[in-house]
Amino acid sequence: MPHVTSPTIIIVALLYFLGVVAISIWASRRTRTARDFFVAGHGIGLIALTVASVSTSVSGFAFIGGPGLLYSIGLAALYIVLPASVTNVMGAWVLAKRMRLLGEVRGLMTVPDAIGARYRSPGAQGLAGVSMLVAIVGYMATNCLAMGYVIDAIFGVGVVPGIWLGMGITLAYSVAGGILAGIYNDVFQGTLMALASALVFVFVLSVNDGMGGISRAIMPVDASFLGPWGKLTPIAALSFFFVFGMGSLGQPQSVHKYYMLRDPQQLKWYPLLKTLGLVLVLLLYFGVGVGVKALVASGRMPPLTAPDAATPSFLLGFTPVLLAAVVFSGVAAATMSAVNSFINIGAAVVTHDLPIAFGRRVKNELFWGRIATLTIAILAALIAQFSGSMVAFLGIFGWGLFGATLVPALAFGLNWEGATKAGAIASMATGLVITLAFETLSFFNVYSFPTGVTISGLALVLSILVFFGVSWLTRMTAAASLDPDVRLVMEV
Amino acid sequence: MRRAAVAAIVLSTCAIGVSYATAFFAGGAPMWAAWLFAVGMTGTILGTLTLGAMRRDRGLGRLVIPFIIMTVLLGGGLAAVFLLPADLGAAEPLLLGLPRRAAIVLYVIGLLPILVLPVAYALTFADQTLRPDDLERVLHAARAARAEAAR
Repeated sequence: MPHVTSPTIIIVALLYFLGVVAISIWASRRTRTARDFFVAGHGIGLIALTVASVSTSVSGFAFIGGPGLLYSIGLAALYIVLPASVTNVMGAWVLAKRMRLLGEVRGLMTVPDAIGARYRSPGAQGLAGVSMLVAIVGYMATNCLAMGYVIDAIFGVGVVPGIWLGMGITLAYSVAGGILAGIYNDVFQGTLMALASALVFVFVLSVNDGMGGISRAIMPVDASFLGPWGKLTPIAALSFFFVFGMGSLGQPQSVHKYYMLRDPQQLKWYPLLKTLGLVLVLLLYFGVGVGVKALVASGRMPPLTAPDAATPSFLLGFTPVLLAAVVFSGVAAATMSAVNSFINIGAAVVTHDLPIAFGRRVKNELFWGRIATLTIAILAALIAQFSGSMVAFLGIFGWGLFGATLVPALAFGLNWEGATKAGAIASMATGLVITLAFETLSFFNVYSFPTGVTISGLALVLSILVFFGVSWLTRMTAAASLDPDVRLVMEV
Repeated sequence: MRRAAVAAIVLSTCAIGVSYATAFFAGGAPMWAAWLFAVGMTGTILGTLTLGAMRRDRGLGRLVIPFIIMTVLLGGGLAAVFLLPADLGAAEPLLLGLPRRAAIVLYVIGLLPILVLPVAYALTFADQTLRPDDLERVLHAARAARAEAAR
């Protein structure tokens, strides 16, 4: 990311961070128990939860990496975000009600908790926790590095100091206020980002004479860019839709928020509001991606040196500096928000799910949750600092690994009484092994799949088929996998 | 109905798997494999939606209509993209500012479903998703189970 240092941008970023600190201090005073720390005491209202969930769903990728990808591969990059029109309502029908009711009945706090309760299996809960930890390491390290790049771009302090500066701020609110601080910081950040994204989109349209102007500038120069599959094959583009559509049901940073809603009846408007919020925030992703391509095609902007320069170049060249400052600060805040979410989820796995898998309970979960938060954060920052190109490898499989390991056991398992413990464990193991093995082989250039086949897509397909296949083979045990209260939750 | 949804998910996932497998052929995946992937993806998503939305006592209820509309938007939209002729470069007519096939991708597959499913979810929430007595029934059963276990 190019340096964007200017007095206005620095002042806005400092004000932004001050806002984050103020919210964190407020939240820390309201965090007294492990339930407050990990699931905000099941007490978040509809609007706050919706905005926070939108904010967590997008991360910095939507503002920097996403528009850059769209600039590179054309409309194919749209298939990453198109499923948003379906995923929120799918999550609401498939998971939200059942997880919220399970939270009410059993006092559950984590995603592996739900898997453990569904299959009466601490082992399945533990395996879900381990899978999540592996994916979280990847996500955390890449987001730490992204945080370092963004802070360096704004303040010019260097990437490594940027990593630790960003991590310091994130830790301050993660340790003190837990998920409550994260939620309200996400609300603050999400609101600003939605407004900024909509404004940037308006600038994109006005600079390019609307969507028609954008198309007319691009089509004579690079018609395949606006082709239905962009510069990818149809299967590769559709594979994005499949992985990001179905895989959304296994993303713990979104799914575990269902536990936090104060009143289950408020779920009624959640999918519609979240989808509309996502559309607003993703206007920048689409607008800048195609808008910059049109500007370059018409000769009004020089070709980009790197795709990730799409957003900074457009903001600095075609929008008021104040709007650019809000977006840059928002990108920094988005990476911090993602880090906060994953720290919190990782800490819950370490202090809650893994001890349960080994038949133990941690006595003071709040205290040990804070210690785990600190440890995971420092570990992630160290990995980001020292792992070199490995960090990109770690980040690639995060989404796919969550999807391949959690979707069958969680999403199908909570809705199908024929699912068995053996099926759940086999599918999680399949997702974990396939993803890790083939991503590693691919990273070291030992073996790569042919064009169009994504590792995350294939791993998801295989884990789904293994889940149903093994459950069918062990169907005699299905009834024994269900407690009466869980069965009732699945029936309503 | 639940079995039908599970069967749809399994068959659709198999279709996607077969589609991926054809990419390993010499010369790459044939065009029919992309069609198969589109059918499989639509089936997996619709099957999952159906599995999550149905109630044991009344199936999909009023949700049948929005689910049919969704199938038409997603499946029909993808079919239209496959069937329409390739873009004509500078001579390509624009639909709401985009080439025809791109417009279908963005507006029909990407945006129109927002007006269907989330709205249908909200409008049917009280009778299809979470009735006022559901929570009370679940809590009552949990209390009874705990009392039974304590005895």
